[in-house]
Amino acid sequence: MTGLMTRAAPHALTLCVIAFVMILAVLEPAFLSGSNLIGILRAVSLVGIMALGMTFVIMTGGIDLSVGPVSAIAGLVAYFALVAGHGLVAALLAGAGLGLLIGIANGLLVASLGLPAIIVTLGTLSIVRGSALLLGGPDLHGIRDQAAYSFIGSGAIYGIPVPVVIFLVLAAMAWLLQSRTPFGTLVAAVGDNERAAWLSGLNVTAIKAATYGLCGLLAAIAGMIQSSQVHTASATYGKFGTELDVIAAVVLGGTQLSGGAGSVARTLLGVLFLGLLNNGMNILNLSIDIQLIAKGAIIALALSLAARRTG
Amino acid sequence: MTAPLLEATGLGKSYGTLVALKPSDLRLNRGEVRALIGSNGAGKSTLIKCLTGAVTPSGGSVLLEGKPLPLGQPGAIIRSGVSCIYQHSNLAPMMSVMDNISMGRQPTRFGFVDRKTQRTQVQDLLARYGIDLDPDALVGTLPTVKQKEVEIAKALAQDAKVLLMDEPTGWLAVSDVRRLHETVRLLAAKGVGIIYISHMLDEIFAVCDSLTILRDGEVVTERAVDRISRTEVVAAMVGERLARESLAAADSGRKATGSGEVRLSVRGLGRRGVFRDISFDLHAGEILCITGLIGSKRTEMIHALFGSAPHDAGEVLLNGKRLVPRSPAWGMANGIGLVPEDRQHEGLMLGMPIRDNLVMTTLRRFHRFGVLRPRGIDRSVSSLIAALNVQPPRPAQLVGRLSGGNQQKVLIGKWLARDPSVLILDEPTVGVDVGAKAEIYALLRAARDRGMAVLVVSSDLEEVTTLADRIGVMNRGRLLSLRPAAGITRPELVAEIGADA
Repeated sequence: MTGLMTRAAPHALTLCVIAFVMILAVLEPAFLSGSNLIGILRAVSLVGIMALGMTFVIMTGGIDLSVGPVSAIAGLVAYFALVAGHGLVAALLAGAGLGLLIGIANGLLVASLGLPAIIVTLGTLSIVRGSALLLGGPDLHGIRDQAAYSFIGSGAIYGIPVPVVIFLVLAAMAWLLQSRTPFGTLVAAVGDNERAAWLSGLNVTAIKAATYGLCGLLAAIAGMIQSSQVHTASATYGKFGTELDVIAAVVLGGTQLSGGAGSVARTLLGVLFLGLLNNGMNILNLSIDIQLIAKGAIIALALSLAARRTG
Repeated sequence: MTAPLLEATGLGKSYGTLVALKPSDLRLNRGEVRALIGSNGAGKSTLIKCLTGAVTPSGGSVLLEGKPLPLGQPGAIIRSGVSCIYQHSNLAPMMSVMDNISMGRQPTRFGFVDRKTQRTQVQDLLARYGIDLDPDALVGTLPTVKQKEVEIAKALAQDAKVLLMDEPTGWLAVSDVRRLHETVRLLAAKGVGIIYISHMLDEIFAVCDSLTILRDGEVVTERAVDRISRTEVVAAMVGERLARESLAAADSGRKATGSGEVRLSVRGLGRRGVFRDISFDLHAGEILCITGLIGSKRTEMIHALFGSAPHDAGEVLLNGKRLVPRSPAWGMANGIGLVPEDRQHEGLMLGMPIRDNLVMTTLRRFHRFGVLRPRGIDRSVSSLIAALNVQPPRPAQLVGRLSGGNQQKVLIGKWLARDPSVLILDEPTVGVDVGAKAEIYALLRAARDRGMAVLVVSSDLEEVTTLADRIGVMNRGRLLSLRPAAGITRPELVAEIGADA
């Protein structure tokens, strides 16, 4: 029995996802409809995109709490660039570039200050949110007559929503980066043993700057997709709790908060699991209060199982 | 003959079809210090774990003073009087010596800790066994050897009749080892039975009465130490063939200045308040061992050569060209490699596979347009694993699950993979069994014979006299002497290391 448990443990999440799908399919046949499945992916695409970057950060043993405000400020900057008539490409580059810069700053601070990442990014969380409010005020800024920009959030390619397409493309790229390039190995090495990584000649500061930069960039992309989806930009988007959903998805996937072990592929599974959970509870018509409680309990349970697996 | 203090009969453990320990007997008398030795995988740890209760044996029984020991129940075994002192500390560093010793068993009055009684009890205990400790000192501020004594006192406070000591001197300096051995003899004189596990033959012959040698899961030799020679011990541990080979290699010619070509030249290297005036030449094709007491700043000095620690005086020349060491990456770019002392904290990524650890220093060679070429890596890793004889030879195996000796082979291998022109190693065989030690020495000799300049820092005099072509002695941040190794005896070396200390 224990032998079976040990062998099954690494696949626990996969089995959970499959069991989930089967239960929901029996309870509610509409669950398996193409439109519902695409709906699930669409619902998780934003958290999913952010989770891709967060995977790398957590693999280095760090964390980035600032993804919510970064997504908001990127949406705002893109909005202002559009309104100023700089065109779509410039607007997107401005938003993405800002996210990248904030992320790199996070990484450099974490690497050089010797402070825990949770403290540093708690600081930037507040600074970036404040800056976004300074820039955009408390109001919603409606985005009108920007067909190209709106297409990003609301359009579809062969019936698949653009955000889902972007998510899948980015996921494939992140997966390649993590599992098929030296960078992925180096990130895990820094997270597993930073001192040993440095003594092995790795540039730990540059690796951290790159991972947090990537995380900021992906948060910015998610923010711009969101503002495009709802045709507004606001300093208050990416509300408190966004970062927790993102971190939950990564950790559910099996990436260790202490750094080292982790993978983008498993994060995708974690994202899918969260999406199925939300969707299933919606289908079952649970009220939002019950949903939150059930979600919290299920995440805690899943993580404690994962801890037993590694402990 | 009186009844033994501890008597294990037919103690064995198998996991499925894998036999970790064949049914074995072990007897320990009151006041006896018994060495338990064997290579990794010999069944030593399994035997210990059976005795501590960490593992439930598949068969056999253990009697303590004629009463059966509650096997498989760690808590009950400690209460019966068998305690283990592990290699790594199990103390609470921020608490006092007194609180650590009586942890969990503080005397209470009305539910509050009775400080006065606790103090008297601890002082009595320390006095009874002649252990000199300040009950109020914070454990974290004590030197390592004192912390070991706290652990011993803690075990004694639990009325330990049998003490298992697992590699108790792993991180101790020579003088501290002597001190710990005095404590061990004192305990034995008081009637405590001690099982002393160590890879260091010097220590075993210094402190133990008798020894039990395990190989391949069974007891192969049991003898009083004065009735067995060092060579016989090594032969019993590793088997005849390996023993013969390593003996032959050790006796092969020493090359005092290697090929004669000066590879690395250190001139007046210093770091304020740490070390000063270090000058020596390291030749291609030689092994230079630098020894000395812990605290002689050897580690700081070699890190300064590699670029991972600063220096503020003197210069370093590599092949006659002046270098200014700045960072490990820089040191590596110039063909220098450094195998750090602490493989767990400084050397390896324990949570990652053998494969990733072995390519860590050479990753740059294995990608095209930024994408890794897994086949190139696999080829390189397989040949390294074969050359190093890593067990098990599975690239996907997590390094943290390997034995100490195999971890050390991976650590050295990841640097040999770069084929550096200068390889610096800090305590290359701490906590490594005799078999793996011989293999590591063979690897280093082979590297030397290929023309590599090898600089080894070691406190293990057996290692220094076995391995070195030249021997340097450091003391308090200065290089006292530097001489060809041929003809230097261990007593001479001991005298020099301790001189003026």
